[in-house]
Parts: sequence; C-alpha cells; structure tokens
Amino acid sequence: MSEAALHLAGVSRRYSLAGPEGQLKTTLLHPGAAWRTRRKHNHIWAVRDVTLDVARGEFFSIIGANGSGKSTLLRLISGLSQPTTGTVDVRGRLSTLLELGTGFHPNVTGRENAIINGLLMGMRRSDIEALLPQIVEFAGLQEFIGQPMRTYSTGMYVRLGFAIAAFMQPELLVVDEVLAVGDGAFQRKCYDYISGLREQGVTMIMVSHDLASVERFSSRVGLMEQGRMIAIGDPHEMVAEHLERLAASSPEIRRSIEEGIERAIENDPAARAHHERVLAEKEAARKRKERGG
Amino acid sequence: MTAIAPRLPAIGHRSLRNAFELVGALTMRDLKLQYQESFFGWAWSLARPLSYGLVLYFAFGVILKAGFPDYPLFLMSGVFPWFWFQGAVQQSSNVFVGNSGLLKKVRFPRAVLPLSVVLGNTLQFLLSVPVILVFLFGAGRAPHWSWFITLPLLFLLQLVLATAVALLIASLTVFFRDLEHITEVGLNLLFYATPILYNIERIPERYRWVKDVNPLAPLAEGWRNVIMQGSWLPADLWTTVAWTAVLSLIAWYTFHRLEDAFADAL
Repeated sequence: MSEAALHLAGVSRRYSLAGPEGQLKTTLLHPGAAWRTRRKHNHIWAVRDVTLDVARGEFFSIIGANGSGKSTLLRLISGLSQPTTGTVDVRGRLSTLLELGTGFHPNVTGRENAIINGLLMGMRRSDIEALLPQIVEFAGLQEFIGQPMRTYSTGMYVRLGFAIAAFMQPELLVVDEVLAVGDGAFQRKCYDYISGLREQGVTMIMVSHDLASVERFSSRVGLMEQGRMIAIGDPHEMVAEHLERLAASSPEIRRSIEEGIERAIENDPAARAHHERVLAEKEAARKRKERGG
Repeated sequence: MTAIAPRLPAIGHRSLRNAFELVGALTMRDLKLQYQESFFGWAWSLARPLSYGLVLYFAFGVILKAGFPDYPLFLMSGVFPWFWFQGAVQQSSNVFVGNSGLLKKVRFPRAVLPLSVVLGNTLQFLLSVPVILVFLFGAGRAPHWSWFITLPLLFLLQLVLATAVALLIASLTVFFRDLEHITEVGLNLLFYATPILYNIERIPERYRWVKDVNPLAPLAEGWRNVIMQGSWLPADLWTTVAWTAVLSLIAWYTFHRLEDAFADAL
C-alpha cells in the first residue's frame, strides 16, 4: 500500500450512559449507589477495536446501520473525541464537515460566516479572503453572499459549508452525511471536485447512507456493525453485504429494498441482466452449501 | 488492544495568529449582533451601568444621605469597571455550554470562546470611558498626568484577572452546570462585598477581613482613587496581583486538563 494518510490501531471508545452532571449529583447525594453503578459497568462501547489504514488519495466510505458507530469513528478521526484505547494517527492537514452549517450564525452575512468558518477550521484570514471569490462561485451564491444567512435555503447552507471545507486545501477531508442534502447538480459538482482533489493526493473519508454514491465514488468501503468494522473491501461487495444484513433485520426493509431494485432495473435491460446473474449466483452458492452441509 | 494515552491527532499548522484572528472575528460578530438591530446601538451598553449607578445614587446618596463627596463620580468610577468584570465572567459561564454544537463538530482552540467574551466586554468598557470623563468634569475635577501610568496598570491587571476567572468558570461549568447559577448569585454578593458604593474606611473593623480576601477590593479602591484624586496605586493592590497570578495558573491548568473532554461532556 502506498503512503498512509490515516492509521487507526485498535481504536475503541466507551461512553458512560449517565450524563456528567448526573454522575456528580449521584456521587454527592448517593455515594453508595454511585459506586454500585460504576461497578456494574454502566456504559456502552460505541466503537470497538477498529484497525484501519487509509492510503493517500483514497476515497474511503463508511457505511452501516444507524447506531453502528460510524459518526463516533469520524469524531475520533477528527480529534473531537479521544479514544478510550488505541491510537489515531492522522498524517496531514485535516478538514472536517461533520454537520450542516455548524458555526454559521443566521443573522450574519454569508461572507462573514464564511470567514469565521474558515478561521474555525484553522485558516488565516488573508488566505480565506483570497479564496472567497472561488468559494462563493463554487457554492453559486454570488448574489446572496452579502445577505444574512437566515435568508438562505438549506441547499445554500450545504453549498457554502462544503465549499469552505473543500477549498481550505485539506490533505484529508472528512465528511459526515451532508452532501445528501444538496440537489443532484450540486452533488455531482462536489463529487467531481473531490475527484480532482484526489488526483492531487487528497484523501477523502465519508460516512453516507447514499449507497449509490458510495458505490460509484469510493475506492474502498468499510462496513460497521455494533461498533466494529466488520468488513473492509470493494464498494459493490460491501454495499451488497450491507443491504443483505439490513434485509435480514426486518421483512419491511427487505420488501422496500426489493422494490427499490425493481424500480432501478425496470427500464435498464443491462442492469436487469446483471441483477438476475447476481441472484442466480447467490442461489447456486446456497444450493452448493446445502449439498455440502 | 493497546492502552496508550491517546493524544489529539495533528491538525496541521494551526498558528497563534489564527487564534487571535478568530477571537477578533468572533468578538466583532457578537458586538455587531448585539447592536445591529437597535436604533441607539452601543449607547445601550452604557444604559445598564448608568441606570444602576443612578439607582444607587438615589438610594444611598439622596434618600439615606450616606453618600460621599461627588457621589455620582464616586459611584461611576467603580460601577463601570465592575460591569466589565461582571459581564465578562457571567457571559463566560455558559459560553461552552451555549456553543455545544460548535464544540462537538469543529476542532478549534477552545479558549477563543471565553476570550472573545472577555474581549467584547473589555471593548464596551473602553467605550464607556468618555462617560466617566463627563462625570469627572461634572464634578469640577480634571485628569491627572499620573493616569498615563496608573490607568494602564489597573486596566491590564483587571483584564488578566477577568480572563482567568472567565476561563476557569467556563471550563468548570461544562461538567457542573449549576455553576452558571452559582456564578450569578456569587457575582451579586461580590458586588456588595467590594467597596464600590462605599469605601474601605467605612467597613466596620470586624468585617475588614472581607476586603483582604477579595481581590476586587484593592482594584475598586484603585480605580476610584486614581480617577477621583489622581492618586498613586494603593499598596494592597499587590494582593490582587498575587491573586491574579495564582488564579491564572489554576485557570490555565484546569482548562488544559478539561478541554479535550468538552466535546464529549456537552
């Protein structure tokens, strides 16, 4: 593997289930009960023993059901949370976009918010001001940048947020489920831009439920379940595995996945042929297993 | 699994200059937000200390006739510095809690939030200096040449003291939310325990110890004597200097120990 941009070694993160103020209050008022609770290990492991290497220039996506630990893992990578055990090693300048419009103040103009956002991410004021015309143009906000952000639509928030994160010349771009909000045209523009960044050696790490984009743009995908990274590999295989596990979890989900597939292959003979081939292969594998067992 | 003490991953070339620019930008944004939609703008930042001073003047000077010579100036030379300290500390107490969204999602030097609160209150204090001068001239007094030395020293000392207290309380409130309310009540008591509407000589002998343990007492005496009489700094200002040094160390140590845990605790 080429030069690593990110190295996680046995990373785990435990969260205590009681809130911090609750703990203090309980400790003061009911020391006996607090001690017993602590002995009962009243906590959850949001991320368990994740070891991962991401090479420079990779587009690594993380998928998994809700609550599987994807976002916690991004927080650990971003340094917003410290691992309980294990080490996180990020090599290069990190830019994160974990939530739509964090740090934007509705009563301040887009321009001022962009400057403060860039400063929060660690840029210098002069650099942000120099990049601002490009950011505004990429976000398509030329007429609106002098307006207070309360007048912006959700899509405009995302566009400005992504443009700032992407233009601050990161070496590692960490994005959590924000691109899904923008319209199709802007999403395409973002993925195109990311492809351009990757050619310059920028590493992309993304959490997403938009499986079509994950399959299309990722170079590798990690699948998480209950805090563990249960598989890492080819995007198509991982997405299929993820859907299989989702379908196994409930009949309603299975039905809607099948309906989704039906709609997707309805007017696309090539896709239908592919789908039928995959099904036939699966069936054959199942039969082989039955005969073998 | 290894149990190596985890450290923050490198964030690149985050410079001190970036932190200063960030404090400046946040301060200007908040000041602008505070006043942009009101007609009289920053005049409102004067209205609170002025009305407070007026009430005190009426209650103690006019009705109880317990005033001092030039009592309006006497009060104002204490009330304006007090509002600076009080505003900085009170607003800092919930600055991390109030910005929890930002702290959870973006990595930036956490200290910029309380620092920008302190800076905003400091600017408001500086803008109120002309009002203090109006009271000075109104009392038929004039500025004194020694101000060039004494006022900057008082200013710096109070700035460092307010920053230390603000940073300490802001950090602790994340883990002990009641501190926000304790701060409010405590500041209220501290106002009356500080010689602002009276002077140290009026304190009965058996309560003198209160001013010995209150770092703001010599500071308040200093502001008033310097502004009213152009006198030199009071000797017991050294206790404030000592307090400030100790509190700065405690505040920095506490903040440094807790800052990595903010995002998870909020």
